[in-house]
Amino acid sequence: MNLDPKWVPMNWPCGPLLWIPRDKPSFPDTARRETLEAWSQPAALDLLKGTPVNCLVVDWADGMPEDSAQQQTLSPLLEAGRRREIDFVGKVAAGEGTAAAVESARAAGLSAVMLKEPSSHSFDFPVILSFPRDKVAWQSATQIFTSTGNEWPGLKLDTMKGDTAIAGPTGVPWVNSNAWFSLLSNELAPGKTRWLDFDPPDAPNLAHPATYPLAVADSQAYGSRWIISLDDNFRTALLKGNPQATSVWRQTCETVTFFESHREWEGFQPQGILAVISDFRGDNAFLSGEVLNLLNRRKIQFQVMERSRALSTSTPGLKAMLWLDKDAPTAGQLAKLLAFVRQGGLLIATGYWGPSGVMPKNRDPSLDYKMYNVGQGQIAVCVEGFQDPYQVAGDTHLLVSRRNDLVRLYNPDTTNCHLSFDPDHKRRLVQILNYSPSAANFVTLWVNDRAKSARLWSPGARDSISIPGVPASPGTEFGLPTIAVNCALEVEGPNP
Amino acid sequence: MTMTHCSRRKFLGAIGATAGVWLGRPTMFLARPAPAGRVAVGMCPEYGPEVLTTMGTMFDQLGGLERLVRGKTVAIKLNLTGDAFTRLGYAPAGLTHWVHPNVVGATVHLLAKAGAYRIRLLESPISSAEPLEEFMLQANWEPKDFLSAGSRVEFENTNYLGFGKKYSRFMVPGGGLMFKGYDLNHSYEDCDVFVSLAKLKEHLTAGVTLTMKNCFGITPCTIYGDGSPEDEPGRVPMGGRGPFHAGNRLPSKSAPPLVDRSGSKEGGYRVPRVVADLVAARPVHLAIIDGIHTMTGGEGPWANPRRHVQPGLLIAGTNCVNTDAVGMALMGFDPMADRGTPPFETSDSTLRLAEQLGVGTRDLRQIEVVGTPISKGRFDFRSA
Repeated sequence: MNLDPKWVPMNWPCGPLLWIPRDKPSFPDTARRETLEAWSQPAALDLLKGTPVNCLVVDWADGMPEDSAQQQTLSPLLEAGRRREIDFVGKVAAGEGTAAAVESARAAGLSAVMLKEPSSHSFDFPVILSFPRDKVAWQSATQIFTSTGNEWPGLKLDTMKGDTAIAGPTGVPWVNSNAWFSLLSNELAPGKTRWLDFDPPDAPNLAHPATYPLAVADSQAYGSRWIISLDDNFRTALLKGNPQATSVWRQTCETVTFFESHREWEGFQPQGILAVISDFRGDNAFLSGEVLNLLNRRKIQFQVMERSRALSTSTPGLKAMLWLDKDAPTAGQLAKLLAFVRQGGLLIATGYWGPSGVMPKNRDPSLDYKMYNVGQGQIAVCVEGFQDPYQVAGDTHLLVSRRNDLVRLYNPDTTNCHLSFDPDHKRRLVQILNYSPSAANFVTLWVNDRAKSARLWSPGARDSISIPGVPASPGTEFGLPTIAVNCALEVEGPNP
Repeated sequence: MTMTHCSRRKFLGAIGATAGVWLGRPTMFLARPAPAGRVAVGMCPEYGPEVLTTMGTMFDQLGGLERLVRGKTVAIKLNLTGDAFTRLGYAPAGLTHWVHPNVVGATVHLLAKAGAYRIRLLESPISSAEPLEEFMLQANWEPKDFLSAGSRVEFENTNYLGFGKKYSRFMVPGGGLMFKGYDLNHSYEDCDVFVSLAKLKEHLTAGVTLTMKNCFGITPCTIYGDGSPEDEPGRVPMGGRGPFHAGNRLPSKSAPPLVDRSGSKEGGYRVPRVVADLVAARPVHLAIIDGIHTMTGGEGPWANPRRHVQPGLLIAGTNCVNTDAVGMALMGFDPMADRGTPPFETSDSTLRLAEQLGVGTRDLRQIEVVGTPISKGRFDFRSA
């Protein structure tokens, strides 16, 4: 048995480990306990009929009396699941007799275990390592790995009044998204499957301001998978057949199905005009991560480059490189950076590493940068150093120039988009996500190339629809229909 | 179409009347009758090549641009309200609430052709110190088109100090209605000819957005914005011009003070006075209104209810009050209207205030309309 990248995971909280939690002094309330008991029954699996969910994550442990109770309680569920071709992953808490838990997981027929930290033991059993997002050991990440500490995507809830978003310092609604982390992970753990582990924020009732389909879309559009996780009230309502909960569950599954039916998109690659270079670790982690987050919010199409590997391969299409760290490039990297600049590229950094004797000029009074002309290109040196990620992202966009935008959204409001290309660079895919609980209307997508039409795919719709392109020099505009949560536009045309 | 020609002497006389107001002493200024000039109206159904020919004809009807701009530095305040991404439905901003790029291009071309030495395109994009070219690119405009429309075409974001070393001070003749004077980006002083290139539309606070209200945006938010520092101008603008509307805070202390600190905090009172002050302090030499495509209901897509409409009109004059009066009449409003009467249901009339400051008359009986008569070009905004 191996880890299967096609698993569609879902957290399945149930069993005595949760209603007699060893690390919590208080017991769950009656309603929650009833839900936990009900979800440990095989009948609960009926919820998954007709959905792509095929892997359930359950709490697992061994060595204590309640651990045995957990294993016994889950036994019928596991048996029923296997008959339905559902795999189970046991989530093992840290320091709880890991080896024994792994052995009992194997004996119980689980397909893998999820461990919170690398073990000194070598298990002959599939392991999924789980890391806090800011402490991922990229080199030791397992073929499937998970991260915790992610954001619940959507409008930042404490910046909303009812359905109305309050603008952040950017002047646009403040949006939480894990997109940047997914893009970073694509670079630092290439070829590995990433599960994002996050739970919905607490809500007193079913009128939850956050949307489950968006949690799916924000993960999958950027190449990750969300371990579907439902809040207690929602799970209780689902079991009782509450129509509202049933409808939300259906929409959530439609969004999962949408991405499952377009698995080829996982092979599409983002093509940026900007390379963002850092080691993304330690003291550099916060600034670099937040810069990625804000560049994505500005819809700048960028490529993430890990510093030690930066410039090791060719970088067609790049207009600029943003060297975020204070550490200077190696001699080999510097030679490549300067070659890039001499051929017309832009290097943005906190230090000047170009040839001596070049006198700087100020490009624009609003930008606190010294500009050095080197060959046909420029080196932009931030006078104050990179301090505020918001400023860095905004300045970078201006230095690179919006002339180099590959996509833009009009009436973007709470939407964002992600551009990628198929391996042959014949098709471009623009995924559009709406981070508001309210639908987005009259959104226009602009792409920087000519196209007569595009195919629009939406969750819940069996077929695509054709959207005519409107010439908007030098590119094309597409007027999009109302966007509930997400959609995707496939545009056929040459690589820009 | 009625075509009336006037001599260049008469044309320049009208311009001089306005400039004279600016130079006159306050007491003389207030005693002088408001100037009446000529306003040209052209029908132009779309933003094709006909824009250039129509505007060329209109400028000829005004007496020609050459004597006004030859060898001069011309500053053009564009009307690019709001951000570059917000649209009314799917319509690009130039079709609804921004002056259309083809009208900008035609204006630049005709000014250059008339011998302008330098042409500066100016605007103060909301909450931003970014280069104006970048702001235009966001809206999918191509700044290079304007560069190629004339020689020595420049851009400047006037929402902050910009390329200047200090702000230029413009005192309001007669002492001002809201402020005694205004500190502006150097571009409004470093020019010989000032053009207001506006859109034909209503305004939620001030009733109408025409060439005068367009000048509201010449004020830098580093001094007059929501987030301007208390003592000195900020380095970059923060927020919009809310304090002008609500009087909730004062501009940076470095700027000329309020005339009356106990005055009304109502936007419909304050904004028209600020606008009248501005056009008295920084006279407009050429006023142009793009009404080919536009919108009803307000100054931007945030107005409600609103509609994209196509009046097919271009309007130009050498006096901003005269020009706005004709614009109002073409929108189906009475330029002599005041508070309580459309479009000034909740505001004072900027036209009346500017007229009282001696900037120009709003009385159609005194304004010579050339080209398309008002009766033929009228497009009723409230029944559209």
